[in-house]
Amino acid sequence: MNNAHSIILEAKGLSKRFGGLIAVDEVSIAVQKLGVTSIIGPNGAGKSTLFNLLSGTFLPDNGAVHIDGVDVTRLSPEGRLFCGMARSFQITNLFFDLTVMDNLRIASQVLEPRSHLYLPLGKSEIALKRANELLEEFGLEESRDQLAGALSHGQQRRLEIAVTLATKPKLLLLDEPTQGMSQVDTHETADLIKRVGLNTTVLLIEHDVDLVMDLSKTVFVMAQGRKLAEGTPAEVRKNPLVQAAYFGEELA
Amino acid sequence: MLEALQYIYTPQVINGLSIGVAVILMALGLTIIFGLLDVINMSHGEFYAAGAFISVTLMAMGISFWLCLLLVPLLLIPIGFAMERLLIQKVFHYKDRHILTLLLTFGVAMVLEDAYKIIWGANPIKPSAPISGASEFLGVMFPNYRLFLMGFGAILIFCVWAVIYKTQIGAIVRAAAYDKEMSSSLGIPVMRVYALTFAFGIALAGLAGVLLAPIYSVFPTMGRDFILMAFSVVIVGGLGSIKGAVVAGLLLTQLQSISSLFISPVWSDPLVFSVMVLVLMFKPAGLYGGMKNA
Amino acid sequence: MLNTKARAIRLVELVLLGSAAALFIVGTYLGDTFFLRLATESLIFGGLALSVDLLLGVVGLLSLGQALYFGFGAYLSALILKELASSFALAILIVTIASAILGWVASFIALRSKGVYFALITFGLAQVAAKVVYNTRSLGASDGMMGVPILQIWTPFGLIDTSHPGIFFLICLLTISILYGILKYFLSTPTGSLWLAIQSNENRLAYIGYKSKGPKQVAFILAAVVAAVSGALYPMLRGFVSPELMFFSVSGNAVVTVVLGGVGTLIGPILGSVLLTSFKSVIGTWTSHHHIVIGLIFVAIVISAPKGLIGLIVTRMNKVDAKKEEGKHE
Repeated sequence: MNNAHSIILEAKGLSKRFGGLIAVDEVSIAVQKLGVTSIIGPNGAGKSTLFNLLSGTFLPDNGAVHIDGVDVTRLSPEGRLFCGMARSFQITNLFFDLTVMDNLRIASQVLEPRSHLYLPLGKSEIALKRANELLEEFGLEESRDQLAGALSHGQQRRLEIAVTLATKPKLLLLDEPTQGMSQVDTHETADLIKRVGLNTTVLLIEHDVDLVMDLSKTVFVMAQGRKLAEGTPAEVRKNPLVQAAYFGEELA
Repeated sequence: MLEALQYIYTPQVINGLSIGVAVILMALGLTIIFGLLDVINMSHGEFYAAGAFISVTLMAMGISFWLCLLLVPLLLIPIGFAMERLLIQKVFHYKDRHILTLLLTFGVAMVLEDAYKIIWGANPIKPSAPISGASEFLGVMFPNYRLFLMGFGAILIFCVWAVIYKTQIGAIVRAAAYDKEMSSSLGIPVMRVYALTFAFGIALAGLAGVLLAPIYSVFPTMGRDFILMAFSVVIVGGLGSIKGAVVAGLLLTQLQSISSLFISPVWSDPLVFSVMVLVLMFKPAGLYGGMKNA
Repeated sequence: MLNTKARAIRLVELVLLGSAAALFIVGTYLGDTFFLRLATESLIFGGLALSVDLLLGVVGLLSLGQALYFGFGAYLSALILKELASSFALAILIVTIASAILGWVASFIALRSKGVYFALITFGLAQVAAKVVYNTRSLGASDGMMGVPILQIWTPFGLIDTSHPGIFFLICLLTISILYGILKYFLSTPTGSLWLAIQSNENRLAYIGYKSKGPKQVAFILAAVVAAVSGALYPMLRGFVSPELMFFSVSGNAVVTVVLGGVGTLIGPILGSVLLTSFKSVIGTWTSHHHIVIGLIFVAIVISAPKGLIGLIVTRMNKVDAKKEEGKHE
């Protein structure tokens, strides 16, 4: 069932402490190729820190991270991009002073050969094409010349995901993508994630438990820096430890 | 060997210490302003000069040096308060306020320096030391004024530390630095605290100016000459750290002092600057980065 | 909205170019020396301001020590002209290469830091260099070097004497325009986009696949070359160089010029330099204390019009556009 060749992202014994606080404590997870895998847990469980360790934002004190069998534990974020991993941020992290189009184009620039950095913009056809594709896919054509900082919150969150998808990564890490979104936007984003999950591996941190249960193939539950449980949504829902961790919150 | 220690090194160490306390006072002001206001005060050197110039003028009017030590900071406090309230707070809400406040204070520095030239002329003025004569200390003769500087400076530094860490005002200031919103909701007049802190910082610089005037003499570009040293101390010590300002201040002035035995004084500034650059390159937070870490 | 900024820039470019042409024609016809030389000087310092704006307005790095490269270019140019050969092309070529190397070396020191620290490191580097030059006997110490020969520049039209103020004005105009053109070109490439991205949100850059160090280094070296080549023109105009060229006031003035004209517009610094140089010259007839006036103007601009003159033009243009829109709907 857990075929080693079908594991695209693996964390083994990851630990990270900040001063006296142990944020992540010996966490090991294995993410299967394709589909949506989610990480949930109460506040302060260490989900974001785990993400940061996986994406190279922080370096772990202990443990290892492997992408497709390759050890990337100490690799920089841009290095991990070249291994096929891209991430989005919980707090929108766009180039706010640039237009939507520019954001998407810059995010797609790595698709071009390095020499194109010094040639006029028009030469970066692949990047331009990709940016236009993303504009269409995410319904942002009307806002293409608006500054990213001037968009509505929902639009910004959409752009955030679009930027992450620009390089067509095989492994997508989404950090609370629907944070602050309206019901409508959340629903649309959920559909999008489902679509993306058909030919990409998506690893999701989410607070919206219903969303998670609906979308995910596998769910990891974290609490107090540790992995508490893993399994299918149904299995996790029934797990008494998980219910206790959420302390009375209705999962069923 | 022991004689070398006594007659060659000791004087340099003591001289370094006497300059060091004034440098520390100046660096303290700078680091406090950064630690609380997040403002890089490029005009800090000009307030050092202001202190010197004002004291020279007051003394020419017959006011004693000792009274100047009191009056100069008192005069500078409202000026600093006004500058923070009227100028700095105007640009505070911009996103790129770090650069704007840097540019703003730089502009003020430009204005002040030329103002000094206009009012007092370009020629150096050397006020005479309020304490004359020399005493023996560790077998070597030192000017009494330098010995006084060491002692008085040390007391002042201790007072600053005590005010920040042992008084209620200090606690309020630190609270406002740590969490602006929370302090504000607790009823602390944050804007006024900011303005007062800035005023306090430049008053310290002015005080340093008064103290060092008899040693370095007073001229319009004295602020600019000194600011690199002040920033070096603050950076090596850690922006926002009082302990850092003290330790780095002592270290760098000793470095400058003792190195003058071996290399021409022209190279002592580059030497200090190189230390700053090395620290910035390899330990950018300095020795003790952050006001929260004392 | 961005279109307005581009329009404003285009407008200023045309106005400056037109004024330059007018000045050349009228000045040469009337045999003027003073205004042509003043304009030339404003172009030379405009080039220095260009280099500051590239770093500050495009990448987001405030350099308080660009005078280092300006002075380097000036001194090197003077040395070449005096000792090697009285050749414009040679001087510019050697200065370009040497300053690129210098910029490359300096980048390893300066780019380790950003924001305030970067400003202080660049400030310190220039202070140290100025002090060293000031105390170096072989470079003339505090007196600098004089006796730079008048150049004869080879052109397809024959040898030209740079002592002719109109001709030299054109040469400088051409040089600075080329530098400006090079920077504008870079801005139109993905590298330029990366620069703007760094200024906007440096942290995100790694996650879209780029280390910020590379583009920053390119900008830093370009800025060094632009400043140095501008400086190389100085001894050709004045016939001497002195350590004052590396002093902080030169770096500081360049920053004022950039903010006055409009940060990040590239043409703004040139405009600012023209205005500031003229202004200094006018005030200079009454008093030598132009710094205080400039300082006051600078403070006023930082507080009330931080986007400089071009920013004011953009605001005006937007208002006019809005009025036109209103007019249409009536």
